[in-house]
Amino acid sequence: MARLLTHLLPRGAGAPAPVAAGDPQADPFDSGMWPHHRQDHLGDPRDWAMDPAMLLLAPASAEDPAHVPVLVDATGVAGPVARIVVTIDYSPFAVGLVFHPGRALPLLGFGVKYEMAGAIRASAEVIDGGAPPRWSMAGAFVDAMGGGCTAPAATHARPDWQEGFGQMRGRLWPDTGRLRVTIRHPMDTGLADGIPAHHLTELTLEDAEGAEIARLQIHEPLEENPELTFLLPPELARGPVIVRARDNIGHRFRGRLEAGA
Amino acid sequence: MTGLRPTPRPTRRGVLAAGAAALALRPAVALSPADPASPVEVADGVWMIEGAAQSFARTNGGAICNIVLLATPEGAVVVDTGSNARQGAALRQLADQKFGGVAAVVNTHHHPDHWLGNQAFADRPILALPQSRALQAENGQGYSDNLYRILGSWMNGTAFMPATADAAPGPLVIGGRALRLIAMSGHSQADLLLLDQATGTLVAGDMLFLDRAPSFPDAAIADWLAGLDRIAAIGAGGVVPGHGPFHRSSAALAQTRAYLRAFAGRMARASGLGLAPAEAIHAGPMPEFASLGANPEEYRRAVVQRWRDFESDALPVIGGT
Repeated sequence: MARLLTHLLPRGAGAPAPVAAGDPQADPFDSGMWPHHRQDHLGDPRDWAMDPAMLLLAPASAEDPAHVPVLVDATGVAGPVARIVVTIDYSPFAVGLVFHPGRALPLLGFGVKYEMAGAIRASAEVIDGGAPPRWSMAGAFVDAMGGGCTAPAATHARPDWQEGFGQMRGRLWPDTGRLRVTIRHPMDTGLADGIPAHHLTELTLEDAEGAEIARLQIHEPLEENPELTFLLPPELARGPVIVRARDNIGHRFRGRLEAGA
Repeated sequence: MTGLRPTPRPTRRGVLAAGAAALALRPAVALSPADPASPVEVADGVWMIEGAAQSFARTNGGAICNIVLLATPEGAVVVDTGSNARQGAALRQLADQKFGGVAAVVNTHHHPDHWLGNQAFADRPILALPQSRALQAENGQGYSDNLYRILGSWMNGTAFMPATADAAPGPLVIGGRALRLIAMSGHSQADLLLLDQATGTLVAGDMLFLDRAPSFPDAAIADWLAGLDRIAAIGAGGVVPGHGPFHRSSAALAQTRAYLRAFAGRMARASGLGLAPAEAIHAGPMPEFASLGANPEEYRRAVVQRWRDFESDALPVIGGT
């Protein structure tokens, strides 16, 4: 079952009806990169399938190639999800992020930069006891003007761009288990002229005792000033939750979320 | 009719016949969605070419905004010029043939459906608010690139040309026609409205939409709502919205105001309840506006464009470096 909250908006559309798959290994986007990405970034698994129980929401057309909002919901996938790998078929950086849900639920909202039109995919690795890993996939085609990875971050247009750098905003909703967090960060890919790579590499959620709840490996395609949406089980959604992040040049960021704050 | 040459109200067929006579030795006027073949006189000497109530698409050639020609003895005052060179050229041809030329051009704001036809008027003064001119120069290339991608060959030959002169708020007489220019902001950073004194017609630019979903790429919703209050105080006798039909009521004012409030309400609710922007997009537009022209796509664009305005209200600061 998808865990979307779209029904909380007046007459909000529910989850899209699952499309009954024909050949579960057929690529609905007929993309040349998909076999390579499975090989290079997923370990060339044999047991994989486009899974109608897995949901990926992305706009059919990117209004802003620097901010393409995406939501992956693998809560309907049978079996425990060990990680979710997000790949973008024709991005200069194939892997957008890797999400290790740990004690959180396998649902993640995020935004990516788009360099050119193509498919974005989420691949969930299910590890169930001693059985060999099994992969559930979902994807969406995003039409985009492109340039999202090679344009300078918008913040560099401002002389005071470092002001507010690293600021974290967030909130925890105990009733629904939602956790949202944003960080002010340019997420420079290194592809814009004269601007070296400067991007987040990792973000973790921890409980009050410092034990890890969930972890994100972050790569260049994540949007500038990233905003992330997580889903926690009730016992963790009561908080507090510590958010820690770091970037590729050694900055560390920390925030603390209390329920109802 | 004020200053327009004594021709009957041009029906589509009439324009075709006139065009065929005038252009006996030239190619026939191309008939396409982007060619202004049927201007309608909505008030004395105020002619309107109504844009399609849609988003940019190859099926409409980018002819989506309303264009107004104000007739004067010195030629037309052309308000907005369309999305591309082809639309601008057709508009120029119409003005030359039926309005005795072009006295001046006005761009209501810097969004590309309103001024990428400017190059057909390069020999005439083209007025816009100073900030609109700067934004035209800054964004013209990006707009062109994007429209080439969406509209394809409709854009052939289009070279963006920002307005060439500053418009100043206040009275302006062109060819004996008394206008009042009104500067606002909210739909964009600088929105210019024209009030035709003789007829009381307000040419509102994109401060007003009717039966077509408002667009939000540069919107500041509070400023926009304040502008609507100022428009209400004008008490115009007739209104040409930026998109949608001419009317002699407060319909566009009421609908635009209701849409802005409903959109802001939906975004505040979504961000306040912890929805991800992808969910707010997927949920679709406010039910009461779901069937407006250009929806749901305009709503989806607006969520991406405006989401962060609401997010900072919904999410308190929790930390930093």
